[in-house]
Amino acid sequence: MGALVELRERQDIGEECHETTDLALFVRTSDDDLAGWDRQKIVEAMVREAGVSPHVADEISREVQSVIRDSKIKFVTAPLIRELVNAKLIERGFEEARKRHTRLGVPLYDVDQLILHPNKENANVPHGPEATNLTLAEGIKKEYALLKVFSPEVGDAHMRGDIHLHDLGFIDRPYCSGQSLEYIKRFGLSLPNSLSNAKPAKQPEVLLAHMVKFAAALQSHFAGAIGWDAVNLFFAPYLVDRSDREVHQLAQMMVYEFSQQAVARGGQAIFTDINLYWEVPRHFENVPAIGPGGQFTGKTYGEYEKEAQRFVWALFDVYKEGDGTGRPFFFPKPLVHITEKFFRTEGAQDFLLHICDVASEKGTTYFVFDRGETAKVSECCRLSFKLNENDLLDAREPWKMRFCALQNVTINLPRLGYKSNGDDALLFKNLRAMMELAVKAHLEKKAFIESLLSLGESGPLALLTMAKDGSPYLRMHRASYLIGMVGLNELVKIQTGEELNQSTKALKYGLKVISHMNLWCKEFSERYNMHFVLEQTPAESTAYRFAKLDLRDFPDKATGIVKGSIPFGQIYYTNSTCLPVGSRENPIERVKIEGLFHPLIEAGSITHIWLGEARPSKESLANFVVKVFRETQNDQIAFSPEFTNCLKCYRTVRGLRSSCPHCGSEEVDGITRITGYFTKISSWNKGKLGELRDRNRNKGYFSNN
Amino acid sequence: MGIIKVFVKNKCPRCPQAKEVGNTLREAGFNVIEYDVETPDGLAEASFYSVQATPTLIVADQQENTIADFRGVVPSVQQIHDLFYNNAGGQMQC
Repeated sequence: MGALVELRERQDIGEECHETTDLALFVRTSDDDLAGWDRQKIVEAMVREAGVSPHVADEISREVQSVIRDSKIKFVTAPLIRELVNAKLIERGFEEARKRHTRLGVPLYDVDQLILHPNKENANVPHGPEATNLTLAEGIKKEYALLKVFSPEVGDAHMRGDIHLHDLGFIDRPYCSGQSLEYIKRFGLSLPNSLSNAKPAKQPEVLLAHMVKFAAALQSHFAGAIGWDAVNLFFAPYLVDRSDREVHQLAQMMVYEFSQQAVARGGQAIFTDINLYWEVPRHFENVPAIGPGGQFTGKTYGEYEKEAQRFVWALFDVYKEGDGTGRPFFFPKPLVHITEKFFRTEGAQDFLLHICDVASEKGTTYFVFDRGETAKVSECCRLSFKLNENDLLDAREPWKMRFCALQNVTINLPRLGYKSNGDDALLFKNLRAMMELAVKAHLEKKAFIESLLSLGESGPLALLTMAKDGSPYLRMHRASYLIGMVGLNELVKIQTGEELNQSTKALKYGLKVISHMNLWCKEFSERYNMHFVLEQTPAESTAYRFAKLDLRDFPDKATGIVKGSIPFGQIYYTNSTCLPVGSRENPIERVKIEGLFHPLIEAGSITHIWLGEARPSKESLANFVVKVFRETQNDQIAFSPEFTNCLKCYRTVRGLRSSCPHCGSEEVDGITRITGYFTKISSWNKGKLGELRDRNRNKGYFSNN
Repeated sequence: MGIIKVFVKNKCPRCPQAKEVGNTLREAGFNVIEYDVETPDGLAEASFYSVQATPTLIVADQQENTIADFRGVVPSVQQIHDLFYNNAGGQMQC
């Protein structure tokens, strides 16, 4: 224990010094030094931070001083003094003052645990010193958010598990974003506070370097995913006259740069999505192309179709190879848009087989369906920004196409069922109240972010205020405010006695719930002139957290409802509007039924098709994809095989195994999709492990290779 | 007997015409239900049948399977009559 306290009494030298004694002791302060006891500092802090009157503050400081003196305490720290003061504030009924005077921090025990054990809230965060820093900082900011940014009503609802405020530890950032490569192609890499500025890239390798560094800068300004639109198309003007080998090399560099963690925050890979097209999307066809040096090439993007196709083909060659040990690449996630024009474009069938081959071999491909006039930018686990008329006008100057979702608030649907006792009218009343609370949470976060943005270049979000094209980088007027849901299937079971896939009545009940939510979003959007929109929450940890809290708070009702294993604590709710992961209908039926909800969930949905060990033929997957496009309303699908990676001989084999079939080692780790991305199973939380156990692997449905 | 489901909304130029067809069919003894897709019940029903445009008219059997659909277009009363009575040479077995 460090030198601390020398307890001896001396006459108080304060202004009212005659009646008491002050302490001569040293205090460990937050400024990293040992300061002499100074009662006046307590007074000043109470007046400055908590708005307590000087007179009351003086009285409290003397009481605290007495407590410390009488206790003969030998270890005095600033946090201890602050808590003693807080106790006195409570005794006097100054609840608000106590709140303002609160110290944020982490118990010693918790820090110990964090340093020693991995954080499993997000499987994309590895365990290490930098990750621990990230987790600790997140912890403090989370407390700050709940105390300072959100009202008690919203904060308490989160704490109870009525709602989940996502990424509270990143309260001072927007949530996810959609980016345009055109911005750095046109303006170079010139960021606020950077040590050097770069002009627009002249070589594709340099453009890639700019993209990766900009992504890292963006990662530290957004809580979640960084998605890039039409990446292969926007690279195309740089690839004219480049050999196939050079294009392949560039593709390989791109995948490795984004999948490895060299530039990442806390060792966390940048959650990167790249939107890819075989055809030139109609809204970019006649747009003047930007080429080397940020110059317009004199051609339109419609004239770069071949280069764009060579690049996207090469990217999938790389995805098919996998990493150095044959594992699938986790990032960047390739999202291929399937459109009417896709099928009319020469070579589409071959390309479809190519990406289906990768889907079968590695599971990496995401198939995004843009039917009719729909165009969108996809990212995160399933988030998408549908392009409206104004966005399509912006497409003429694609660097303007920057989108963000400011926050995601998820509603615990099963809990509403427990509280409504089978009364439909009460359920919908409670659901609306919860939606209103989610809107309140959005308004509070928006006000906070706007206060940070108003600080401009000298503020913490300087990057997002840069205005190289005349508008702030973060276009707040185009921000979306996401409202998610977890456990529709369980809510329907509570209300109707059946799961979503067990009867038409149950399915229609589910559609009614989401229809209500959809229409309320529209109503709130009009009322507040903000874009409230439903999203299928990825719910990597939320589905577990809600189930756990409900089992604690509603044990009688939740016991027969939560999924997974209660004895092992591996419990969860079914994600968003999905059917139960273990239900046995064939996958096209699942895609169809889940797809009925997708048009109602305008900010993005996905259906997962779990493959287990199966390795379907590329032809059978291609047929499946075409069928999904033509016969369903489904927004996005992904096929998810499972792998085992040996930690000893580093080989990767198909399926989840307890030992390596090559070297026999039991030091192995499983790999498959957790929610919207691949990751190692050892990093999964308990709820997700329970879900993994229950997944229906669709054995025997697809014809094998 | 099948059910005729008419999906409409406000500010939809051809919806009044679809409603009229629905009313005429109802008066003729058909089982017709009209759904406003701007209400939760209407939107839920529209979602169930993947209705993406208004007006849409769906003919469904008792198990709620789609027998015929007219999406974004308005069929004539005669077309629906024909569908019910000329199917398999007799009354449609919905």
